[in-house]
Amino acid sequence: MATPILMPKQGNTVEECILIAWKKKPGDEVSEGDIIAEIETDKATFELESPASGELIGTFCEEGDLVPVLTNIGVIGKKGEDIEAFRPSEDTPAEEVSVSSAPSEPSAAAPAATTATASAPVTKAEAESVPQAKTVSPRAKKLAERYGISTDAISGTGPGGRVIEADIRAYRATAPRLSSLAKELVKDGYRMPQKGTGIGGMVLSGDLGKPGIPLSNMRSIIASRMMESLQEAAQFTLNASAPAAPLLAARKEIKAQKGKPGFVDVNLNDMLMYITTLGLAESPDVNAELIDNKIYQHDDVDIAFACDTPKGLLVPVIKEAQKLSLPELATRLKTYAQEAVNGNISPDLLSGGSFTVSNLGNLGIESFTPIINAPQVAILGVCAIGLKPVKTSEGVQFVDHIGLSLTIDHQAIDGAVGARFLKKLVERISTFKLSTEISHV
Amino acid sequence: MYDLIVIGAGPGGYEAAIHAGKMKKKVILFDKKYIGGTCLNVGCIPTKTLLKSAHVYHDCKESGLYGITTSAPKFNMAKVQARKKKVITTLTQGVEGMLKRSKVKVVKAAATIIDKGIVEAEGKTYKASNILIATGSAPAVPPIKGIDSKGILDSTSALGLTKIPTSLVIIGGGVIGLEFASLFSDLGTKVTIVEMLPNIAPGIDTDVTSHLKEGLEKKKVKFNLGCAVQEVKNKTVNFKDKNGTKRSVKGEYILNATGRRPVTEGLGLENIGVNTNRGNITTSDEGKTNIPGIWACGDVTGRCLLAHAATAEGLVAVNNMFGTPTTMRYEAIPSVIYTNPEVACVGKTEAQCKDEEIEYTVSALPMAVAGRFTVENEGKFGMVKVLVGKAYGQLLGVHMIGSHCSEILQGAVTMIECEMRVKDVKDIVFPHPTVSEALKEACIHAG
Repeated sequence: MATPILMPKQGNTVEECILIAWKKKPGDEVSEGDIIAEIETDKATFELESPASGELIGTFCEEGDLVPVLTNIGVIGKKGEDIEAFRPSEDTPAEEVSVSSAPSEPSAAAPAATTATASAPVTKAEAESVPQAKTVSPRAKKLAERYGISTDAISGTGPGGRVIEADIRAYRATAPRLSSLAKELVKDGYRMPQKGTGIGGMVLSGDLGKPGIPLSNMRSIIASRMMESLQEAAQFTLNASAPAAPLLAARKEIKAQKGKPGFVDVNLNDMLMYITTLGLAESPDVNAELIDNKIYQHDDVDIAFACDTPKGLLVPVIKEAQKLSLPELATRLKTYAQEAVNGNISPDLLSGGSFTVSNLGNLGIESFTPIINAPQVAILGVCAIGLKPVKTSEGVQFVDHIGLSLTIDHQAIDGAVGARFLKKLVERISTFKLSTEISHV
Repeated sequence: MYDLIVIGAGPGGYEAAIHAGKMKKKVILFDKKYIGGTCLNVGCIPTKTLLKSAHVYHDCKESGLYGITTSAPKFNMAKVQARKKKVITTLTQGVEGMLKRSKVKVVKAAATIIDKGIVEAEGKTYKASNILIATGSAPAVPPIKGIDSKGILDSTSALGLTKIPTSLVIIGGGVIGLEFASLFSDLGTKVTIVEMLPNIAPGIDTDVTSHLKEGLEKKKVKFNLGCAVQEVKNKTVNFKDKNGTKRSVKGEYILNATGRRPVTEGLGLENIGVNTNRGNITTSDEGKTNIPGIWACGDVTGRCLLAHAATAEGLVAVNNMFGTPTTMRYEAIPSVIYTNPEVACVGKTEAQCKDEEIEYTVSALPMAVAGRFTVENEGKFGMVKVLVGKAYGQLLGVHMIGSHCSEILQGAVTMIECEMRVKDVKDIVFPHPTVSEALKEACIHAG
């Protein structure tokens, strides 16, 4: 009896996944648990294991297809078995939607605007409002191909900047001559240089720039989210710093406990996340989202943190962080960060944050302007520890300070509110004591 | 105050000086020995002159193949040497004339750089905004016991031999050693080559070199490859063969043809801190050294030990000093071995393609596909081998052996320089009947 291979449901909010690559091809023998395909949600990439042993007797979608979850993507069985019974019906989007050019987006089935905790997905209409690529008339395109000219470098004089035949001719009259090989490479997407180094200025293959690398699905998502955030929020950043001595002392204390039973390693970032959580629990106006001219303040601190992974930025969310002790929070942070780096974090943990922290301190950044994780209304950037002159009764002393950069959406929060929140964090940091916090529940 | 001081009047230096002179720059050229450098005096030109005489001698002996009966030819070394001198004089005068017409001041003296922009020669100092070092190379003396003893020939002294050796042992199976092997074997000398590497002519296509080896073996040249010379003593070369067995070979003459070293002694590089790498002056593709205003070209840079490469590098340097900025390209530098049969190559070898992970196809044809080759080379072998890029069909390399191939190489150089695809080559009209048609056929054959 043949077994269908289902596109798995990766978390509650994921409706569709992209089939990135088949790891087996029809006719291959597979064992249960073998990796047969690689799939990607808008948040992360996953490996798909075979549900049964046998032969991969058929596949229903191609690499790059966007497939609704719980759709049959292939069949495991014995050679000769009929696979038609498993073929998804024609009206499923799997057959029609290809994501070769446009970034995918989660299905509109998740009504983000009404559930205050969900991050707003990119809607189709929004994706299309992104400025369109340059248009080229069919005649111009044909001519450009004939001459081996890339239209990238040509500014169009047709309606709406459309590249027309005359533009190609004008360009060719002044453009450098290309070697035969260079022409072939330009057709394959290599980019024209300013000038050629060959005889008489001929453009040679070595003069050409490498073809552009298309954004990965994940990169496209990051790109559109960032642009949307900057376009839709009135962002400005407040910078402050807090004495770091209490944090450094706590860190020293924790290091000393290493090896003791029940020891949990708590680093500076964990402490800052913890302090920020406590601050947010008292600041509902900062722990909030702005959606359709309404501010949704959250009772829970669902704190998100920017995580640098090999595939790009991921932002895991620790739900109800205000209920966690410092060691619990530290453990959660490490687990999520590791899963994000490994690419096996649940998509459910990648959405629904109420506030985000981005820590670039370990990279020596002194201050920066974090971009708000929309529709949240604020994001905290944690910066490096550095010496700062402080006036004391004994004169000017240099004291370790940690930098904090808070970006707020001025649509939802005024500067003073943001400043007060930042001040609160500075106070919490300067009075931080491990002994009192470690027992906090 | 000069615009340019050139040190070394070989094909790198004199061409650069003439080029700058034509640009109306004030140029002075120093050479401690002779105008024309190694190439004109003790390199390319005298070698080719002797080789031509050997070729004629050889053709006379083989004239029966073409239906001509003659008495036994005689090789008159004194007359051949006299002709060599005449050729050198003619060509040197030609260069001197060109230098004069370009208003380049020539000083036959050793020049030392004493500071940036300042050169001293014969107690006088000369100043210039640019100094181009083109001092070339000289035969290298490897650390082999006895190799520097009296009576061991190098390429320079071998060119001056007044008698034909009965036997000659050549240490080194590179281009220089092979040309002398071809020259003297054609004159009846018993030639033995001892080479450390497993192949002759490293860097040349191995199909070509195996045909070359066969060709020279027909002339009774003996090859000892993979053999490390231990000592040279009493006209005997002692070496260990590839199995480690000690062997020796005796010759009336022994020729050290192990390579060349850059000439920088007395130049004063240390006075200004010019960077070198194993004695070679380090340059950029623009011809610049690490010191602003100090440039270098040719053998002294160790980049490409060929006269025409030196010339090209010198012109690039002058263009970067005074004209349109440009960079040196090494993709289509041709190379020729003037053996009989001769070898001509340009572009990438199979080994290079593999190294650079370039996918390629090979098309190799005997030169006999061109009627003219058969007409002119009774009983001789020739081959054209082309390497073609798999993805785009561009010509990557052309490797040839056989009479005339050095003269048809320029066509291949142009094709590679312009990155032509084989299908572009097919559209070029080749004269018929010429040996060059073999090159076109090889391209057509490649697809």
